[in-house]
Amino acid sequence: MTSGLSDPASWVDTYGDYLFWYAIVRVGDQSVAEDLVQETFLAALKSRESFASRSSEKTWFTSILKHKIMDHFRSKHRDKADSIDPMNFSSMEHLFSQNGQWNVRPREWKDDPESSYQKKEFWTVFTHCLSEMSERLRTVFVLRELEGLDTDEICNALKISPTNCWVILYRARSFLRKCLEEEWFASKRQK
Amino acid sequence: MINHWMFKCSEVTKLISRSMDQNLPLRQKIGIRIHLAMCKYCSMYKKQLELIRKLIKNATEAEILPAPPLTLSPQARERMKQRLLSQY
Repeated sequence: MTSGLSDPASWVDTYGDYLFWYAIVRVGDQSVAEDLVQETFLAALKSRESFASRSSEKTWFTSILKHKIMDHFRSKHRDKADSIDPMNFSSMEHLFSQNGQWNVRPREWKDDPESSYQKKEFWTVFTHCLSEMSERLRTVFVLRELEGLDTDEICNALKISPTNCWVILYRARSFLRKCLEEEWFASKRQK
Repeated sequence: MINHWMFKCSEVTKLISRSMDQNLPLRQKIGIRIHLAMCKYCSMYKKQLELIRKLIKNATEAEILPAPPLTLSPQARERMKQRLLSQY
């Protein structure tokens, strides 16, 4: 083995769960996530000569998966018109009254919310909330907050206008904030 | 005159979100600040949006590992191994 990679037979057991989690948070669909992880392993196998032992295996797999996810988003949104999901209009309108006041006011988040990220259950709830968003909202939010792209890059990748991008991010953040509040921060479910 | 600087909650929340993506004009920044000084709900909204961003960042850096059901199913695991072995 000149490439310095571990035995491909062990890849699924060593990295499968991590890569699957990485994918499902972003694409929100189990079978799509499984396919992307599968493709990642196959692509890695094909190009294993190019693996440079400078990076860790995990980093290498993750960067292949990142590309697969971007391709998935691009092909998924390429043919869609530059419009906003009508589905999410209704939920946004409920947030505020006609004169722009809060209808459902934010509540105080209790019990050291900053440490939530260390709890696995929090990420289960977080993934659930993401999956409740429409696909377009989730995609833009994921690219911005999880992949760290700026709005120009997102506009280019998904062929949407900047204004549209800001509206989508506003809706996505408002939705996620409310969902996390109900399901975790102000809920008894929190452990 | 003061109305010129006054935003509604529905407008301020929009601007708060936008300020997480780009630098806002001074007039809007001041408008947000005035509103937040008087409105505890929009202040909470801002704080919570920023907290969500921070949690995501911390989780990425700490590489938190998943728990079921966010792990591969035994079937998917087996399928992937078979595919890999067949190409190996």
